[in-house]
Amino acid sequence: MAAPSIPNLLSLRGSRGIRGHGRGRGGHHGPGRGAASHDSTIQGTDTDAAVSRLSAVELGYLEDPFAQYFVSPDAQITRRLPIINRGTFVRTSALDRLVDQFLRQHVFGESALAGGQIQENVHNAQIISLGAGTDTRAFRLFTSKGRKWNQGRDVPPYELWRNSIVYHEIDFPRIVEKKLATVRQTSSLKEALPDPNLEQADGSWKSCGRPPNGSEFWCHGLDLRDLSRETDLPRLDGLRTDIPTLLISECCLCYLETSEASNVIKFFKDRIPQLGIVLYEPVKPDDPFGKQMVSNLAARGIRMPTLEVYKEPKDQEDRLRAAGWEVCCAYTVEKAWEEFILQDDQQRVDSLEGLDEVEEWKLLAGHYVIAWAHPSWDMGMRWDDNDMKYY
Amino acid sequence: MSDLDKWVAQLRACRPIPEADVRELCHKARELLIEEGNVVTVNAPVTICGDIHGQFHDLMELFRVGGDVPDTNYLFMGDFVDRGFYSLESFLLLLCLKVRYPDRMTLIRGNHESRQITTVYGFYDECLRKYGSANVWRYCCDVFDYLALGAIVLGASNTLSPASESSAAQEYADMNLEVEVCNADGVSTFQFPRQSRSLTSSSDPQPRGSPNGSSSTAGHSSPATGNKTGPPGSGASGSSGGSVGNPAGAVLCVHGGLSPLIQTVDAIRLLDRKQEVPHEGAMCDLLWSDPDDIDGWGLSPRGAGFLFGADIVKEFNYKNDLSLIARAHQLVMEGFKEMFDASIVTVWSAPNYCYRCGNVAALLELSEDESGLGVFARSNGDVSRSDGGQEKGRPNGFDTLEGPARRYRVFQAAPQDSRGMPAKKPVADYFL
Ligand SMILES: C[S@@+](CC[C@H](N)C(=O)[O-])C[C@H]1O[C@@H](n2cnc3c(N)ncnc32)[C@H](O)[C@@H]1O
Repeated sequence: MAAPSIPNLLSLRGSRGIRGHGRGRGGHHGPGRGAASHDSTIQGTDTDAAVSRLSAVELGYLEDPFAQYFVSPDAQITRRLPIINRGTFVRTSALDRLVDQFLRQHVFGESALAGGQIQENVHNAQIISLGAGTDTRAFRLFTSKGRKWNQGRDVPPYELWRNSIVYHEIDFPRIVEKKLATVRQTSSLKEALPDPNLEQADGSWKSCGRPPNGSEFWCHGLDLRDLSRETDLPRLDGLRTDIPTLLISECCLCYLETSEASNVIKFFKDRIPQLGIVLYEPVKPDDPFGKQMVSNLAARGIRMPTLEVYKEPKDQEDRLRAAGWEVCCAYTVEKAWEEFILQDDQQRVDSLEGLDEVEEWKLLAGHYVIAWAHPSWDMGMRWDDNDMKYY
Repeated sequence: MSDLDKWVAQLRACRPIPEADVRELCHKARELLIEEGNVVTVNAPVTICGDIHGQFHDLMELFRVGGDVPDTNYLFMGDFVDRGFYSLESFLLLLCLKVRYPDRMTLIRGNHESRQITTVYGFYDECLRKYGSANVWRYCCDVFDYLALGAIVLGASNTLSPASESSAAQEYADMNLEVEVCNADGVSTFQFPRQSRSLTSSSDPQPRGSPNGSSSTAGHSSPATGNKTGPPGSGASGSSGGSVGNPAGAVLCVHGGLSPLIQTVDAIRLLDRKQEVPHEGAMCDLLWSDPDDIDGWGLSPRGAGFLFGADIVKEFNYKNDLSLIARAHQLVMEGFKEMFDASIVTVWSAPNYCYRCGNVAALLELSEDESGLGVFARSNGDVSRSDGGQEKGRPNGFDTLEGPARRYRVFQAAPQDSRGMPAKKPVADYFL
């Protein structure tokens, strides 16, 4: 269906190939009947995320050589509209940036040197990604060629990291099994996570060889709701409770009941003293756009319980405060575009496809929030204010 | 039944017509459009519509609310295609109606009526899907190149004719309404009588969401509802100075807005429009620009066209004997939005845009002036001004011509499975 003779919008600037033009979409589950069916619908959201990521990569928004392996070659569409591509770009970049902040503090930045804590082969920080799905962040980090940020604050290539990290992903067994199968089949994924090995019947696996920068990678197959139980808690092999840790939920906890989501956060907060958190979730269910969003998602069988409780960006901040963090912050994706994204990057993205959907962008991007919190200013995990502003 | 009537019937049922027929239709349409100037003259009464974006079922709802063709005289301000699932059926139906009733249908070009944009935003893919080749898309794009860039509405009245047949005309005239908002069933939900200028305090109310948010109209009682505030989106300005029954100044209709390269309506007439929408220049600006709360001109976040402020609009209207600019191009949640002392209005006619935005849609009705004085306002730029007797001294020195009375009919998205037409379950993308 591709039509190479047709110019892309703003093709004057040259853009990359597009895998197809179809705008149909397949693979959606109808409204859920029962919990099992809801679970499988929710697992299906990972495909949405993967397709959106690949679309943004192929059109030049994001750089991610790994995204392609997680979308099946016969997927109906691979190209999203500019507004969605921009959103995927902002969400991914903003989270990357928060992760970079965290790592700079403990792994590769100036402050990682402070206190003389540098030791080869000692893991100095931990990342836990909830509902990671087919997320490629670990692959990207473990093979990072570095990232230009701004003077003296660039992210160095992984070989230059002073310390290494422990990285955990958690998702349903079915999803982590699929991820393992994909990694096994794909040599460049195996380079990032060598010797992927099944550890448990629930699909949990780890990279048994050492990832390139000496870090450790674990992928756990479990239902997060099991972490909210009182007894008989699942084991999370390799989980460290003694090092600074960043907990990430990129559009995952929103699918849990609010109490379960709180309990999952509490599970980690109770065990890990130096815990920071980054959440990405929808907000504002009550305005006309939000109502339509809730009803459109319901038509696909998707329910987001936390959306009905944490309605405003401010509520997300309060949620983190209530969970025990002192310094909390929440930016809408719209604000993140303005504040997190470097001007050069804004201009680069503007030039990729153009954006005719300005009003729609404001609506859509105003309905997602990135919220984050860290223990306190003097516990070593500090977002550098200078670094969060754009230049 | 002529071919044309057959096509209309088939398209009204939301069924595409065969490729050979599309070709013929597009050919006929081009022959017609080639005769039109860049700026078409349209006489009131007229119903002005904004973006449609392939939302066929909602277009049917629009016709239900606004009246059918040819009973109602329509002016569509572009963006017929892209985004929705039925760009093809929507555009071809409008085109058929244009060819069938050339004097009752005016179509002007939107920024989406372009080869480049339609390859990104869906129309190209839709044609490919429905016909297996890009031929139909090509025929349509060739028509796009001939669409007019704007229209001038003459002879609009400064009073409204009744909203429905059941109301008495005289009663309506006596109310001397400047703005009325009706729901989809023709029931008046807000009425705003024309006020003398001195009563108007604030200049630019854009209450968003809340019907009580209006500022300029607060304190004026509304005969129909007793509601003390003006309609959402309305900037009813009380710009009156003339007496009831006088014709209002002309109305310029254009998809996007003004251009720093265009000072007069006549300058638009001189453009060479028969081409793909350029990336920059006057023609591009007319289709891409947006009004904004700035002074003068600003850069547009869309990457094409410009932002322009109240001063620009007022000066342009003054110079060109216009009382109002009607434009589309921007999603407004209430379906319409008046700005800058009601010197410009955005009309948006795609409800629940992209099956995602949750907005309502509107169309704008201008009544016919029956006083016979409309002749004075016939042209813009080359016939005497019709502001005689009005005091000068509007903000920044430009007198504003008395605006036409405006009726907005607000409507919601049609249920997807309505009227037995094929309906695809809407799937809107979100960030999941
Ligand atoms: C929308 S996807 C997001 C994937 C990834 N975080 C990203 O942003 O690209 C949501 C993911 O959360 C996972 N998830 C949802 N509920 C879960 C639960 N109770 N236990 C484990 N994983 C869950 C789903 O399987 C899915 O992979």
